[in-house]
Parts: sequence; C-alpha cells; structure tokens
Amino acid sequence: MSTEEFRPRTPEPPGIDLPAPTSSPFTCAFGVTLIAAGLVTQWVVTIIGAMLMLVGAIGWFREVHPDNREDRIPLEPDADPVAPRTQQVRRLMGQARHRQRVPAEIHPYSAGIWGGIIGGIVMAIVATIGSLIEHGSLWYACNILSATLLIGVETQTVEQLSQFNATSLIVGLLIQGIMSVFVGLIYGVTLPMIPRFPLLFAALFVPLVWSGLTWATISVINPALKTNIDWYWFIGAQVTFGIIAGLWIIRTEKIGTMQNWTYLERFGMESPGIRSQGGEDE
Amino acid sequence: MTVLDGPNRELQKASGHRATFFSYLHEWVATSDHKKLGIMYVTSGLLFFLIGGLEASMMRWQLAWSGLEVVGPEEFNRLFTMHGTTMVFLVGMPILLGVANYLVPLMIGARDLAFPRLNAFGFWLFLFGGLLLYFSYFGAQGLYGMGSSPDVGWFAYAPLTERTFTRGHSTDYWILGIGISGFGSIATGINLITTIMTMRCPGMSLMKMPLFVWLMFIDAILIMIAMPPLTAAQVMLLFDRWLGAQFFDTGNGGSAVLWQNLFWFFGHPEVYILILPAFAYVSEIIPVFSRKVIFGYPLMVAATIAIGFISLGVWVHHMFALGLSPMVNAIFMGSTMLIAVPTGIKMFNWIATLYGGKLRFQTPMLFSMGFLTQFLLGGLTGIMLAVVPFDWQVSDSYFVVGHFHYVLFGGLVFSIFAAIYYWLPKVSGRMLSETIGKWHFWLLFIGFNLTFGPMHVSGMLGMPRRIYTYHPDRGWELWNLLSSIGVLFQIAGILFFAYNVINSVLRGKKAGDDPWDAWTLEWTTTSPPPEYNFSEIPTVHSRRPLWDQKHPEDPDWKYE
Repeated sequence: MSTEEFRPRTPEPPGIDLPAPTSSPFTCAFGVTLIAAGLVTQWVVTIIGAMLMLVGAIGWFREVHPDNREDRIPLEPDADPVAPRTQQVRRLMGQARHRQRVPAEIHPYSAGIWGGIIGGIVMAIVATIGSLIEHGSLWYACNILSATLLIGVETQTVEQLSQFNATSLIVGLLIQGIMSVFVGLIYGVTLPMIPRFPLLFAALFVPLVWSGLTWATISVINPALKTNIDWYWFIGAQVTFGIIAGLWIIRTEKIGTMQNWTYLERFGMESPGIRSQGGEDE
Repeated sequence: MTVLDGPNRELQKASGHRATFFSYLHEWVATSDHKKLGIMYVTSGLLFFLIGGLEASMMRWQLAWSGLEVVGPEEFNRLFTMHGTTMVFLVGMPILLGVANYLVPLMIGARDLAFPRLNAFGFWLFLFGGLLLYFSYFGAQGLYGMGSSPDVGWFAYAPLTERTFTRGHSTDYWILGIGISGFGSIATGINLITTIMTMRCPGMSLMKMPLFVWLMFIDAILIMIAMPPLTAAQVMLLFDRWLGAQFFDTGNGGSAVLWQNLFWFFGHPEVYILILPAFAYVSEIIPVFSRKVIFGYPLMVAATIAIGFISLGVWVHHMFALGLSPMVNAIFMGSTMLIAVPTGIKMFNWIATLYGGKLRFQTPMLFSMGFLTQFLLGGLTGIMLAVVPFDWQVSDSYFVVGHFHYVLFGGLVFSIFAAIYYWLPKVSGRMLSETIGKWHFWLLFIGFNLTFGPMHVSGMLGMPRRIYTYHPDRGWELWNLLSSIGVLFQIAGILFFAYNVINSVLRGKKAGDDPWDAWTLEWTTTSPPPEYNFSEIPTVHSRRPLWDQKHPEDPDWKYE
C-alpha cells in the first residue's frame, strides 16, 4: 500500500471543469484534407494526410479515454446581478389588464352587417345620382356594376348602358348587397383594432385604396369597362359607403371579448360566482 | 485533470507565454470552446465574403456596359462559379453555424455544445475545405495543363462536369473542397441537434426555448437531411471522372437529370438552411427593439417546422424548364406555393410584433427592417417563379438572379449584419458605433437595391444569366450600368462596416452585460462571457427569463 493513499486530499480550487484544449481535431481535419488534396496533386500528399489523420484520431481517442481530459477553469467575477426594474410595465390605456389580446372590446358583428347594408344603400343612391347627372339615366351605374359578372355588358355603348335591363338590375343588386355586407363585416372586425382615427380609416383610407386598386387592375380584368366608369363618382360613392358604414359601426356600443372568461362562462353555465354572459372583466 | 487556477493563469499571461504569437495561435487552434469556434467560423465567413464580393464586383465591372473586356469568357465562368460556391458554402454556412455555435449554448443555459472536439473538427474541415477549393487557382493545372479554378457553376450541372468537357482538376477541386466542408457542416448539425435535445437548462421545455434555438434546431435537421445527397452525388461524380463510372455520363447511358435531382434535393433545402437562421436573428431582434414579446410564438414554431418539412419537397421548381411531365410540374408548383403559407405566417407575426410596439430604430433593428422588406420582395418574385409558365419565360435570366439575391443578400446578409450589430457587444464587450452603423445600413440598402432591382428588368428584357458580355442593341445597358453603380455603394457600405468592427473591438464603448435591455439567457452573463458561460446553471420559468428577473411583479410565466 503506497503512502499516497494516506496523504490528506488537498481541496480542489473552486472552478468549473471544461474539456481541455487539444489540437487533435485540427490535425485530424488537416489530414483528411490532405488525403483529398493528394488525389489532385501527388500521392505522397495523400500518404502524409493519412498519417496525420491517424495521429489526430489517436490523439483524439486519448483525449476521451479512459476519461475526458478536462481543465479546471477558475471562476471569474459574475455578471452584475439583474436589478428589478423600478419602473412599472406600461399598461394599455384604460385597460385593467395589460397582457390582454387586442382588441379587448369589439363591435358586435351585427353592427358590421347593418353598417354595410345602410352604407350600401346610401352608396347606391349616390351612384345613381351620379348616373342621372352624367348620363341622364337611373340605370347606368347599376349596369356598369353588373358588367363585372355579366359577359357582354362591357362592350355596350353608353346609350345601351343607360337603358333599363332586368338581368343587370338583379345582378347589380346582388353584387351590391353581398359586397356591402361583406365589407361592412370586415369594417366591424377591423375598426376596433385601429388605434387612432378609425373613422378616417373607414371613410377615406380604405375607399381610396380600393379605388386605386380598382383603377390599376380594371384594365387587366375588364379593359372595356375602364373607359365607361365615371371615376369621380366612383370614388365619391366609395367614400360615402365608408362614412356611413364607419359611422354606424363606431357609434355602436362595444362589447367585451371572451378572452378573460373561464370555460364555464363560455359554455354559458350559470352558477353562483360566475358572471352573467356578456359581462365585463371584474 | 489540469487545474489552471487564477493566479497561475495570470502568471502565465504575465510571464510572456501569452505574449508570443504562437502561444496565442495555439490557444485558438487547440480550442474546443464553442465561443471561440463561433468567432472563428464567423470571421472566416466574413473573409470569404470579401473574396466572394470581390469576384462579384469584377463580374459587375465586366457587365457594366456592352463589349467591355475586363475579364475574358473563361475567367468570367470561373468568377461566377467561385462567387456562387463561395457565398453559399463558405459564407452563408459558416456564419450561420458560427452564430449558432456561439449562441445556442448560451441561450439554453449550457456550458458548451454536446461534442466540443467534434465541433472543432467540423470547423477545421470547413476551413480546410474552403482553402482547398481556393488552392485550385494555383494547383488545378492537372494532367492536361488545362483549367484553373472551377468553371462549371455552383450547381455543377452534368454532363458539363464529365472529364470529356472539363479536363484537368478544377472540377475535382470543387468536388473535394465542397465535400470536405459538407462533412464539417454535418458534424456541426449533429452537435446542434444533440445539444438542443439534451442540454437545456432546468425549466426550459421545448416550448420555452427561444425562437432562435427552435429555428437552429430545425435548421440542423435540414442540414442532416440535405447535405448527404450532395456528398453522395459528388462521390458519384468523382467516380465518373476518375474511375470510369457513368452515373451522369449521358453519352454512355448516364443521366444528367439524376444529377439535377440529387443536386437540387440538396440545393433547395439549402436555401432554407441559409434563410432559417436569418429568421432566427430577426425573431430575437424585432421583439427586443419593439419592446414586445414575439407575436404568436406557438404559430412561429409550427411555421418553422412546416417550412422545414415543405422545403424538402419543392426542389423540382429548379427544373421546370427541363421538360418534365405537366403532372410533376403541377405538383411542385403547388408545393412551392404552399411554402409561402408558413413563410407568410412568419412575416405577419413579425409585423404584428412591430405593431403597437415602442420601436427603437437602432442599427440591428434597421437591418432587420431591411431584411423584412427585401426578403418579402424576394419571396414575392419567388411565388411568381413558382408559376410554371412564368418560370419558362424567365428561367435562367437575370430576373432569377435578382430574385435569389433579394432572398439571400437582401434576406440573409442583411440579417447577418443585424445579428452582428446585436450580438457583437456580447462577444467583444464593446459597442459598435451607431452613426457608422447607420451609414453602413443606408449605403448597403441603396447599393443593394440599385444592384439587384434593375436585374429584374434586364431579366424581363431577356438578358440570360452567365453571359460575359452582350450586344449594345438589346436595351440592357442602362440596367446593367445601374446594377454596377450599385456595387460601388455596397463596397462603401462594407468599408464602413469593416472600420466599425475594427474600431469597436479596439476602442469601442464598453457594452456592459445587457446593452439592449434584452430578455434571453445570453444577456445574463458577462460580456464577453467566461469560458464556462454560467457559474451556475440557470433555471428558467418562461421564454424570457431575464424579463422575469427584471419584472418580478409581472413575470412572463404567469401568461405562458
């Protein structure tokens, strides 16, 4: 038994063990590269590469067997402790909970539908007035609208477009009705998410973007139609829709979303301690 | 076990051992520290970026006007081959692997990667592979005294690569250099996957990992799947060239289409291997500079997985002009368009993160905004190219060159600069200059768009790729001149960047541990971090552990 076993163990200095530096991977990789390089230069290079790779591989093997060769790295001064911020997190204005999903309150979908219907009616009136002033016809705007679906209408003359056409009327009303409800619904969903000036967004921004898009693409979609559209009245009708639908929706009372409700509340369960449906956050 | 106690280390340093160049060199050559290897990866990548940029500049000089003779046709072929190969394999790959090397262990609260020595091996393979490729300029004379550097394009289409058409060894250097680098990438891919799966700190479940780590995880999986087919194809090509095999020898029953399939089965996932890290960088930077948590984290993770999955099934869109059956074209057109959905989700989520945030337009954020806009444009032209009839019209034209540079330069390179401005203070402990950074950004932004925007026009006007000159009557001169002028702006921007980095490392303002008021674990340790990263392995409770420490009254874990 050697005397070393009785030697009291010296405590290891504080530190953290990490793999010791080694040039074996470098040697091994260099060897691999030389093996390849020898294929396109001289066979001697390949032989040298193979020897280097072997040296590197053996060195690498000895790094990890029987145990990982490690160095003890002394501890350095730690990072500065993270101080809690004295400044409180800014909360969204007027909301009790700052982590809620925006919008916390929305207009009911019915507001969007009604806004769309009413806006669509007023828009149709404006477009018809435009038809009367520009072409002396009640039906011109409706016929133009129907041309987006009906084949052949776009090739008609202004006189033909000014005549009453039952098919065009039905198709025009259908398009106007569906589009108005659809856009109204989109307004209903979107407007609560506009941070500032939602009426401006509804009355000006969207109608102008929509008019611009229509103007830019109509020559591709329906070239014959482009010359028949009275663009000022077109924009006026769009803006009118935006104002009416936007106003209607914005004036509707908002309701809270269900994001902070429990599942029981969402299922409509009624029991003591559970809010009644549609209630605001407590 | 060797014990390097503090005083001894200091003595070593003070006694002059440290002062010698060789001891310093040995420290870096023998290191298996993920941070040092990460720095070496990125530095090598940036040096190759300068070389690749120089090659591109020479091409743009040659094409600035019709009929110039700056370089001859053969040299031009070598330039675009080496430029493409360098930028993909020796710039994009090492930088993404380097940044991942440096940051993944820090972000998951680990002390190193799972296999530190394999990590070093991977880096050296990459570097020696790259050097071997460039040695071709000196050593590729070969048996027939022909050839210099490779000149077969970065895609090396068969049968052009057969010995009949490329004598000498230039193509062999391409095969061997890239093959060796590829092994290095695979080694690092294995390392990243193992590290992320096994070495996360207590509390860091998969859904509490930073998005950066998620993206690098999927990226590493893609590397593992996509690189081996390329390596296999390269070995087959080597057999063709020197052992008489006929895999791609069309004159003897081989198939050129087989090469295209094998190459692009690697090549298209490679695009996503390169761009996922860009997503990773901006996914960390945008929330910090918007002062908001990333929007839709679970959906971002799902979109990442979806992109990784779909990217393996779109490669044939590079072969639409090949004359495959309409059914095959239709399927790959659909899959290519499909990948726009998860990518779009990411785009919307970044925008939603910005929305309503308290935006700070410091340099990392500026580059991230550059990424968002330019990558979006590159993505949109990508969807255009996914439409087979459109692809037929502009295939192999400058439109395609413009498209992929918007993705890889406008997307990847801008995000790399964003990452460097964001994380270099952690790496060096010094801040980069904001003023010079903004000069860098605007010059590069203007130069980039001036160079690659007009390429869409020249492509639509019919200018093919890879031509070394053109006739003056084609209407391409103005657009080419604009493209070439743009390069001057880019060079100026890069010079600003180089000065900024050198100046910052030498005498930049001290960064402190957490200069951006950020939230992930790498900012909890010192700048630069100690070798062991953390003296105590941290425990996390949410995706933003540093937020939790800063705001104990309102921690994230309450909401996740």
